[in-house]
Parts: sequence; C-alpha cells; structure tokens
Amino acid sequence: MKLLYYPGCTLKTSAKNLEKSAFAIMEALGHEMVEMKDWTCCGVVASLTDDDLMHHLAPLRNLIHVEDEGEDRVATLCDMCCNTLKQTNLRVKEKPDDLETLNLFMDRENDYKGTVKVIHFLEFLRDEVGFDVLKKMVKNPLKGMKIMPYYGCMLLRPRDVSIDDAEEPTILKELLTALGAEVVDNPFKIECCGSYHTIEEKNLVSNRAYRITKFAVDRGSDAIVLSCPLCRFNLDVRGKEAEKIYNNYKQVPVYYYTQLIAVALGLDPKCCGFDDHAVDPILLLKKKGVFEK
Amino acid sequence: MKKQLLKSKEIDAIKFKKGELVAEVEELCGENLFGCYQCGTCSAGCPFIEDMDLGPDEVIRYVVLDRNEVLNSKTIWICASCYTCAERCPRDLNITKIMEALRQIVLRKKIDHTKLVKISKKERESIPQLAFVSLFRKNIG
Amino acid sequence: MPLKSYSQKIYHDVGIPLQDDYFLDEPEEIVQNKSMPQLESAVRIVAERTERGEKRVIHGDVLIVGAGISGMQAALDIGDKGYKVVIIDKTSTIGGSMVKLDKTFPTNDCSICTAAPKMVELSRHPNIELITYAEISSLDGKPGNFTANIWRKSKYVDPDKCTGCDDCVEVCPVEVVNPFDEKISMRKAIYIEFPQAVPIVYTIDYENCVGCGSCDRVCEPEAISFLEKSEEIEVHVGSVIVATGFEVFEPTEMRREYGYGKYENVITAMQVERLLSSFGPTEGKVLRLSDGKKPKSIGWIQCVGSRSTQLGFPYCSRVCCMYATKEASIVKEANPDIDITIYYMDIRAYGKDFQQYYDHAKDLGVKYVRGRPSSVYENPDKSLTIRYKNTLTGEVEENTADLLVLSTAIIPNQGNKKLGELLGVEVDENGFFKQQSLLTDPIQSTRDGVFLAGCIQGPKDIPDSVSMASGAAAKAVAPIKDREKHIGKEFPPEQDVSFEKPRIGVFVCHCGKNIAGYLDVEKLTEAAKKLPNVEYAEHMMFACSEDSCKKIRETIQEKGLNRIIVAACSPRTHGGLFQDTLLEAGLNKYLFEMANIRNQCSWVHSHDWDAATEKATALVRSSVAKARYLQALTEEEFSVYPCTLIIGGGVTGMKAALALADMGIKSIIVEKEPKLGGRLRHLHSMFPSDIKTEEIIDPLIKKINKNKLITVMTNSVLDNLEGFIGNYKGKVKQKGKEKEIEFGTIIVATGFREIDLKGRYQYGKNKNILSQTELETELKNNSLKEPKNVVFINCAGAMDEERPYCCRVGCGVSIKNAKLVSQKFPKSKSYILYRDMRVFGKEEEEYYSDVLTNHHVTTIRYAAEKKPEIILDKDRPGDGSVTVKVYDDILNEEITIQADLLVLTINTEGEVMTEKLKNMLKVPADAAGFYIETHAKIKPLDFSTSGVYLCGAAHYPKNLVDSIAQAEGAASRASIPISQERMKGEGIVAEVNEYLCRGCGICESACAYSAIEMKPHPKDPSRFVAEVNRALCKGCGSCAAACLSSAIEQKGYDSKQINVMIAALLEKEVAA
Repeated sequence: MKLLYYPGCTLKTSAKNLEKSAFAIMEALGHEMVEMKDWTCCGVVASLTDDDLMHHLAPLRNLIHVEDEGEDRVATLCDMCCNTLKQTNLRVKEKPDDLETLNLFMDRENDYKGTVKVIHFLEFLRDEVGFDVLKKMVKNPLKGMKIMPYYGCMLLRPRDVSIDDAEEPTILKELLTALGAEVVDNPFKIECCGSYHTIEEKNLVSNRAYRITKFAVDRGSDAIVLSCPLCRFNLDVRGKEAEKIYNNYKQVPVYYYTQLIAVALGLDPKCCGFDDHAVDPILLLKKKGVFEK
Repeated sequence: MKKQLLKSKEIDAIKFKKGELVAEVEELCGENLFGCYQCGTCSAGCPFIEDMDLGPDEVIRYVVLDRNEVLNSKTIWICASCYTCAERCPRDLNITKIMEALRQIVLRKKIDHTKLVKISKKERESIPQLAFVSLFRKNIG
Repeated sequence: MPLKSYSQKIYHDVGIPLQDDYFLDEPEEIVQNKSMPQLESAVRIVAERTERGEKRVIHGDVLIVGAGISGMQAALDIGDKGYKVVIIDKTSTIGGSMVKLDKTFPTNDCSICTAAPKMVELSRHPNIELITYAEISSLDGKPGNFTANIWRKSKYVDPDKCTGCDDCVEVCPVEVVNPFDEKISMRKAIYIEFPQAVPIVYTIDYENCVGCGSCDRVCEPEAISFLEKSEEIEVHVGSVIVATGFEVFEPTEMRREYGYGKYENVITAMQVERLLSSFGPTEGKVLRLSDGKKPKSIGWIQCVGSRSTQLGFPYCSRVCCMYATKEASIVKEANPDIDITIYYMDIRAYGKDFQQYYDHAKDLGVKYVRGRPSSVYENPDKSLTIRYKNTLTGEVEENTADLLVLSTAIIPNQGNKKLGELLGVEVDENGFFKQQSLLTDPIQSTRDGVFLAGCIQGPKDIPDSVSMASGAAAKAVAPIKDREKHIGKEFPPEQDVSFEKPRIGVFVCHCGKNIAGYLDVEKLTEAAKKLPNVEYAEHMMFACSEDSCKKIRETIQEKGLNRIIVAACSPRTHGGLFQDTLLEAGLNKYLFEMANIRNQCSWVHSHDWDAATEKATALVRSSVAKARYLQALTEEEFSVYPCTLIIGGGVTGMKAALALADMGIKSIIVEKEPKLGGRLRHLHSMFPSDIKTEEIIDPLIKKINKNKLITVMTNSVLDNLEGFIGNYKGKVKQKGKEKEIEFGTIIVATGFREIDLKGRYQYGKNKNILSQTELETELKNNSLKEPKNVVFINCAGAMDEERPYCCRVGCGVSIKNAKLVSQKFPKSKSYILYRDMRVFGKEEEEYYSDVLTNHHVTTIRYAAEKKPEIILDKDRPGDGSVTVKVYDDILNEEITIQADLLVLTINTEGEVMTEKLKNMLKVPADAAGFYIETHAKIKPLDFSTSGVYLCGAAHYPKNLVDSIAQAEGAASRASIPISQERMKGEGIVAEVNEYLCRGCGICESACAYSAIEMKPHPKDPSRFVAEVNRALCKGCGSCAAACLSSAIEQKGYDSKQINVMIAALLEKEVAA
C-alpha cells in the first residue's frame, strides 16, 4: 500500500527520529510511505477567529498539493499538523463560501476540490494495517514494561477532528497491548503538556510534565509513550528539568510509539534515534530485557 | 477574594468596533457568551488554572458585564488552546475560541504579548520548531 | 437499559429447546419417545388458536400502554367510572420505575408501600384486563373505534397455576445480570422482578434459559410450560393512553469524564435507589461496589446528561435535584459519620415542601457545592477524586469520595420513535411524545383519541405524573362516555346467617413449600378441627388457586359453613380474593378472617419447625375465637347527585368544567370576579411558549358559554355548605342574593395571589418598582415607558424564615418578562437577580437558554444571606430611578446597577377565601394558605374528605401545563362517584354508643376524614353526641382509640372480638 506523507517542520528538524522510525516500520510492514513533493509549513495552530481566513491558506495549500499529486489521502506524523490540516479541511467542507474565497486568493494554485482525507499515522496503523497484524510480527515483546499512554490535546480535540474517543481514548493502549507491554492508565493522559509555553514559561511546563508523569509513576509506570514531537520535548526535557524543582522526583523515559513498534518488531535500533532524548530510553529497554531477546 | 488585574494604558485605550467588548468578542468567535451558566466546568478542567489570574468562567463573566480590564488578564495568554473547556462545556460554548478572540482584540491593535527571553543556542536547537511557530502565532499580532 | 427480551419480538414456534437430560426423570414412555408431554389447558388453547391462524379478540373501552404509576392511575380512574380497560406492559410485572425507588421525596414515604396497593387494586379490578410481557404492534382506526394489535410474549409459565412460591428460582442454574436492580445484582433465568410483583407469576427469560428442565421438575403446581407460544391479541377500544415512561441516561458514551463504567465506585442514582431499597441487593445498605465496604464519603454530581447542549440532552430532568437530596439525606440520617457533598448548578427545589426538604438536608449536614465537576479519577484505594470549581468561593478544588453517584437524567425510551410511528403520534426533537399544545392541551397527543400520561411527554415527578394520568383518564373517557358502564361485580343474594350458630370452616394453605416446608400443616389442621364451632378444616396446596377457591365455595354450601378462616398469607394481597369467594357462595364478605401464617410463622421462624407450627396454631385459634363473634356488616349505599361544583373560574376551573362536560357531566362554576379567566386576565402572556393570555382564556370562555352542561355563576361566593359526598347543598351569594344549588362532588380551583411584601425592597414606595403582575398589566395595556436598565429580583419574600417555600413559577415568569421588555425595547438592558434558576418544566430550560442568548439578559446569582439592596434616589424617592446593589459570586464583588425599572418576583400564597372555605369544606390548608392533599405522591388531587378534590395553584403555585393536567385530573377524580351513580361506604365503620358518649368531641378532632360531627341528641337536644357519617368513615379506628368513654366501637374489630383473640392467643400460657 502506498501512503502519502506530509512531514511538517519539526519532523525534519528536532523529530527526525519519529520520522525515521515510522519509515522503518512501513518498510517492515511492506508498505510504501512517500513524502509529498511540494509541502510547506501548516501554520501549526488552527485559526480560531471566524473572520480569519488568512491562516487557513497554508494548510489549504498543502491539501491542494495532495490533490495535485493525484492522491485523496495524506498522513501526518505530527499531531499538531494533523489537527491543523484536519480543521482547515473541515472548515472548507462546512463553509463552501470560505473555500471559494480561499481559492480566489491563491492565484498560482489549483482550486481545492475538497477530496482529501487527512489521517494520522496512528489511524493508518489501527484502521488499515491493524494492531493484530503488528502483534503477529512482534519479535521482542515489550514484556515487563509498564507504560502510560499519553495523548495530549491535538489527537483528540476538538471532537470533530479526533482520532478516538475524546475523553477515553484507547488507541495507544491497544497498540501497547499488541506490542506486549502492560498499560498504566492515567487520567492526565488527555491533559495539555504546556505546548509552546515551553519557550517562555519553562517552569509552568515542567510543572505540567511533573503532574502528568507523577500520577503514572505512582501507579507503577516506568515509561511514557506518545506521538507528538512537542509533547515529547515537554515531558522528556522539561520533565527532566522538573527533577530539580520537585524533591525525589525522577523523570521516566518518553518514547514515540513508532520507536516502541520498531523495537518490538526487532528493527535496527538506529532508526529510533534514541540519542536525542533527555532521559535515557535505552536503559529501561535493556533493564526489562527487551533488547536481549 | 476580589481579583486584581493589572492596568495598562495601551489596553485601556482600545476602542471597540461595535461599542461593546462583548459584541466584538462574539463577532470574532461566533460564540454567544450570554449562554454561559457559570457552572465552573471550564475552570475546573483547565490544566493551567493555577497559573491564571482569572478562571475562564470569570473571563466570560467580565466580558458579559462589558468590563474591558479583562484584556489585561494573564489568563488569555496562558490559555494554550487545548480545547478541554470547549469539549466539556454543557452549554456547548467554545471557550477556546473566546480566548482567541480576546487575544486577537489586543494583537490586532499591534500590541504584542511576548516576553523577550534569551534562549540559549542549545535550547534553540532542541525546542521543536512548531513551538516557536505556535508562540509567534499566538502572542504576536 | 431495557433487557433484550423486552424489546425483542419473540417469534418461535418450538418454545424453549430442552436439553436431553430433561427427560431423565420423566416416565419411561416419554423418555423413549423423547417427546414433550401433552400441552395443557390455557397453553393448548393459545397454541391451537395460533395454528388456526386466529387471534384472541378483546373488546374494551380504553387501551393503556404501559403500567407504571401513570398507567395504573389512569386504568383505575377509568375502571372506577365503569368502563373496560385493557392495560399492557412490556415487562412481566406492573409498577414501572416507581417500584424500583426506595423512598419518595419530599415525604420519605416508602415507594413500594405506596405503589403496591395500587398494583393489587388494579389486578383485582373487575373492569381492568391486565396483559403483561406484551407490546403494541399496530393501531388503526379513529376515536371511538380503534383496533390495536398486541403481541403477548410467552412467559413459559402458566399464570393460572403459578403461585409465586419461588421454588423454581432456587434450582435454576443460570445466573444473569439483573436489569431490575440496575445491573448490580444477578438473577436467574426464571425470575420475578421483585417480591411484590403483580401478577406474581414467574417468567422464563428466553435468551438465557438453557432448557435443563430443573424448574419444571420442582414446580408442584406444574405451571412450567416450555412449549407455550407467544400470541397476537386484537383489542378494540375507543381511546388509547400512552404511559410508557422513561429510561435513565447511562453515561457510557457521553460524559465519560465522570468515569462511569470505568471506575467501580462510580454509580448512577438509580443504582443507589436499589442499594437503599429494602428488597435490593444489599437490603438497604449503601456499600461500595468495589469492596462491599461502607463508604466514608459520598458525592453526587447533578445534571449528568441533562441541561447539556452538547453531550447530553438540553432539557432539565426535573427530578434529579430532589432525588439526590432525598438519597443524600436518607444516607446522612442513618449514617451521620458519612461525609456527603452534592455538586450542582442550580438546586431546583421547586415543588410543594421541596425547599424545606432541601433546607432540612443542609441541616442534616449534607454539603451542597455550586460547581459542575469537570472530571473524576480513581485513586489506588478505589476512591474517586472529583475536580470542580466552587463558584461561590472562586476556588478550583479537588475532593475525594469513596462512592460517587451520578444524578443521571430521565431520557426518552429508545423505542419512542418507533412507538410514535406505530401509534401515529409525533415525537419531539428529544424523543418525548409531542402534545397538541403545551399550554392549552398538554395531555392530548398529536393524534385524536390518543392521550399522554407521565414521563412519555417529558420528565416528571410522581405526583405530576399521577395528576396527568388522571387527566388522561378524563380525556380518554370522552369518546366512549355513552357506552355501557359496569359498576361492581354481580354476586348471588346474601343469605342471612345472623340467627345461626357459628359454623366455622378453616382452610390451611401450603403455599407450595412456602408454608408446608416450614411448619406442620397437617397438625395445624387437626388442631383446628378440634376447636369449638369448627365444622370443617382442611389443608390445600394453594388456597388462592382457582381450584381451591371453587373447593371453598362448594364446602361452604355442602357443610353449611357461615364463617370462613383462611390460614395463608397476607390479607393485604389476598384478602379481597377470598372475600369475593365468600360473596360468590352467598355469604357476607365480613364473615371472613385471615391468619397470616406465612409471613408471621414460616418466614420469620423458618429454622424452627415446632415453634412455627405452635405459633400458627395459636394464630388460627385466635382467628377462630374472633370468627365466632363475626357479624355480617352492611355497606352504606347512597345516591350521588350528578353535578360537580367548581370553586374558581380561572383556566384551571374552566378546564375542569370542560373535561367534565366532555364526559357528559354537569358542573357549576362559582367565580368571585365579574368575569371568568382568573389570574390570567391580568397577565400578558404565558411561559414557555409566549401565548397571549387572551388566546388561552377567550376560546375557553366561548366553549363554556356554549356548553349546556356548564352553569357559570360570576360575582359569586359559596357561602354555606351542607351534606357530604354525593349529596351536597350549597348556598351561593351572588350580588347580594342567595341561591341554593345541589351537587355531588366539589373541585377547589381557587388559585393563588402574590404576598404582601410589607415594604421590603422598597416595594410601594416608588412607582418604578413593580410586581411581576403589575408589570404584565402595564405591558398588556401598552403603558410601560422605555427603561434603560431593568432589574428583576427573584424570590422576593420567598425561601426566608417567614415563608420558607419557593414559588415554583417565579423564575419562568421573570425570564419571560425580561424577554418581553427586551423585545419591546431592544435598547434596554435587563438583569435578573436570582438565587437558583428553577426552570424545570417541558421546554422551560430551552426557553431560558434562548432568552439568555438571543436577548442578552444578564443573570446575577445572589446568596440568601446577601440579598440585593435597593436605594431610593434622595431627590426623587417616589418616581426617580433606584440603585440596586448586589453581590456577584463569580466576580466576588458588589455590582451596582442604576435601574429605572425594578420588577419584583414576589412570593405567593393561597387565595384570600382559603380560611373560610377550608372550614366549610372540612379540608386542611397549610400556613401559606395552600390546600393539603391526601397524599403528596399518589393522591395529589384528592382531599382526605371524600368527594372534594383540588387542582391548580390552590394546591401550590404551578405553571399552566401542570395546572391544566391537574384540572383535567381533578375532573376525572370528581366524576368517579357521579359515574357510579350509587356509592358504597365501608362496612368496617365506627359506631357510637349514644348512652356512653359524653359529647366531648375528642373523636371529632381525631377523625382525619371529617366523618364525625357533634350533634344534639335527637331526644335530648341539651346534650351533644358524636354522629358518624357512614359514607365518609374509612374505618381507621382513630376515634375508637381516642374515645375516653369507650363509647365508640369499630365494627369488625370491636372490643369483644379483640379481647377473645388475645385470650385465645394466651390460652396456653393461662392453662399452664
């Protein structure tokens, strides 16, 4: 199966490991993931004022380029890109007048016909590959690992662009179960990590990371799995910094789901780019004996 | 305890197109703030409530009572658009959009809201790009 | 969540497939053939009829779908009027949701104890045909001539044979989740829903039965029939009532943030009812489901699924504030150590005594937190942490509770849409049934001849459902009023046995093993035979079965018995049945006595065979002792004058008169004002559909004036009243003249008025301060000047020490008037100052929401202890603008509003004539001048004085929808005696011994039914003696107990009878 892929800015810079591990999985699954040719930044945050059409231009242009490639589907790895593209796609489908205005605005582009479906890579794995298929391919079960799935905001909210139940998502839980890990539930799994405040309000974000992680750690969790590059940074890096603020607090390693799939499938660990993490992700894998099998 | 908000001459000087703050907010976000039952669900669920000076419900209250000083509130800048409030609001008010409207009223007057903090090279390289884009989109007019 | 089999049509011809080993214990020839034994009796008739392609056909007058409290009330009202009712229920019992509840607010009456007598009454009513486990599948025709098809599902148990002994349940190996207990307990595949179920017939649950045959093997009356077939029944009726009730919201898909279904100790309020219920899975103890331990703290979250524009239903579910308050205070009262918190948005304690009930809960220590929780998570000890904002203090807090209850909403049945289509009735956007017109005809559905009762039309509490059900009964009779009536049962003439010596027959019941398994029935029978005057004694398997009753009848004739004793179960459930058996045999029904040896012997002494036998022997001995002195009693018969007096000519009175006229019954309306119309004459329009008052009253007045059955007397006051139910004579003063009128029943529809504020809120001191009524009159007359700022203050003079009650209608009125002002003057700004926003009725929450959003009305909540302050202008105190100061909880600061119009929502009280009228009618009223009904829950329209009924705001302020439902309900109640034409009183009544009576009058004040009056002695007018009105006496015995001179005897329970019973009970000890 061919899957058209929209990377976005971060996947090419600070989240290369997310991209690389995803490509490795696709290869192992026998599917082809193709990066779309002419992509630009999506704008990251969805436009939220009714009169602001300008900020829909960037996502829309990318959707047009998907159509230009003759595809009706595009997958993202980044939660924020996914959300932004989905929201723009929804807006122009719900308000044809807005689409007309936007189309008029872009001289050099073709008109958007509204044929594209934006999906998250996780949705692809769940709905088209199937976690049961992944389960059969597992070589190194994540046995003994107690992992807390963390969803954050952008996969789930607003509800109309959610990839799962907005209050009680299970997609990562199902994935982890398929990979052989034990899942630790955490009510904070859907709470915001602090997002862009990581630049100007470091302590605020460290507090978020602490609060989210502490709950799971208290219930025996030894790792976090997530999908968003910004969440990863905030929980991993700002979480590590929280160790200095909160006594006796120890940040647990944070994994992208793609990294854990790659490990479980027995792919070359190099594709995981574990060096880019603040809390050593390899130590736990070794301790639990996942790597040794 | 009565909440004290900072004063800012710049913000106090803002004139509203429709004469009233509430009318301008409603135009920008398309939400009807008068529909709020003041139940507090938004504030209780907000992950940033501890860092806010006003709860989201209080922000709505200020707007409904046409109290412009709400534009000085820290809350509207702390809100990171996580949509938790909008998701749970029994009145189906998109509070996330209301916060954005309030930010936009300030930003569109060319009043930026970002502290110029010095970021080390290491941080610059490790912080994901999308954080920067988001921050600029949210805090700079 | 309905059980699968409730909603599924079972089409199977083979019955339940049986396991091979079912045949093991059967006679050899059956084992060899492996075929079923022959079908029997009723089961065979159904099977053969179906084979021939025929249907059972029933001709009745009214079909009622749903036998919960609403359906039952409607059925009894119609049956009592002499018309034939067919009532069906999809479950295997009647009683609906009410029987699941533990207690009912605000009186804390036991729910099953108030519902069960109605259930028994219904099942024994000669005019009511009850079909359970059945659903309607089509409805054709028009009013007066409907044909309905009913699908009756097989219970696989023969109702004529099943005695409800429970033996089958013990042996059934299949356990399934019990929907009656809201899934917190298990039941067997053969079951009854609850011990008091009516009919007490077990049902085999088709989906779960494994066909092992165990139940069949142990069933002594051989009631199990695996081959029984479901059948189609054709019913011909003239009108239909839909009373299928509601479901309860289950937060598994929406509102998942509260963790229901994920965390064990998050439960629904209905589950709490089952925990609290004495016949629930924990026998009344509230325990955590996770570990069965008593919780140290419990939380309630209100409005789960209701008042939600997203992820729920937009309407208010109307009952949740009060049921949560009830559950919380019951738990708190029994366990003061349990910490209880209720999280709410508005406490809607709107009904009669509700606010006081809420205040009482607070006094008990139930904490109320204004704030709607955002989320819930579980702690390692399985307690729950609730995150909320206390909007009164402004703090976002976390609180833990060992048990968390979600006050989930009443929602429409899932099948409503399908049912609506099938009945040809429209369903509203939420899924409730639509009424013809909310404000003028709330009971009429959108199809002629089909009427609505109870929660099918929208959420309702029990009394409002019961009132509406009576209303539906009145309206359903209209199309069939001229049909033949059937009053009472026909029995052979009674033989006079007063001169015979007592010849007593004793019948001892085995009740399967229920009695015979725990005490020696043979020994008991032998002991009975030896007692003096006992001519005959025997024991039988099931005394209540048709065979046994026949045997009793035959024995009475054969042996010339003239007193009958049945030693079995409770006279409450079975007494009537045996009394009928006596009547059928030509004996007076009061020559019967029952010894309850099941409940009082075999159940309570199940571990002591000898003691149980001994006690049963003593009970029978004592019954025999009493039976020797039993006398035939007569029931006073009297005629009923066919006319109803209606006091009050407002909408309520007029609606009652029209409902009576539609049933062919005459009425007289007495109205004190010169014109009909009541309060609505002074009002502009009505909430929540903005209908102008004249559009409501004018058509009514026109109809009334045209109707020959209705006499209107305006400018008139009832001045004097004599007589009792059926035979009243009244004097009416009309413009100085006095007229005499005659009538059989009375409806009180006198309405309410605003209280005197005595200058509070500066009322009366400034012409810009108006009451709501004054504002509406100005709006109506178009005389209101454009105001800049309008402030409405709700609860003026309400919910304070002097008047602790809520006026029920004020919030709605203030919202409607704020809308009117802002429509008329779009530039005006409106503020509503309120305490709790109590908009609870159908479409009211939606209306409130619409006014807030579309008219930008600002609401400001104020606390009871921080009432708004009104300051008059120094220079122009009488006509200047006023300053309103109010403390805003959300901002935590005082807000000052300069108002050039201040409108006060003033509390209400009963009409001015209440004091005089209540004495004349001999009915009670409360301190606020509202009349007190017989029973707050199940008799909301009756007074304890027979023949007098009440409706509308005379009972308590209420909106038009509820008032009309009550008016039509009161018409139904008041028409029953008139329909029956002749009435019978009780046989068991009080009797005064004139020689002993000292005329002290204590009995008169002790009588709750106004049945005793002190009158001059006919021969010696200088002394007073008590006189019992046999038509009104209910035989409660209060007077006999109160009488200091022992001058009153209670027939059927006189001193002699009681004394010999006691002596007989003590006989053994005396002898020893």
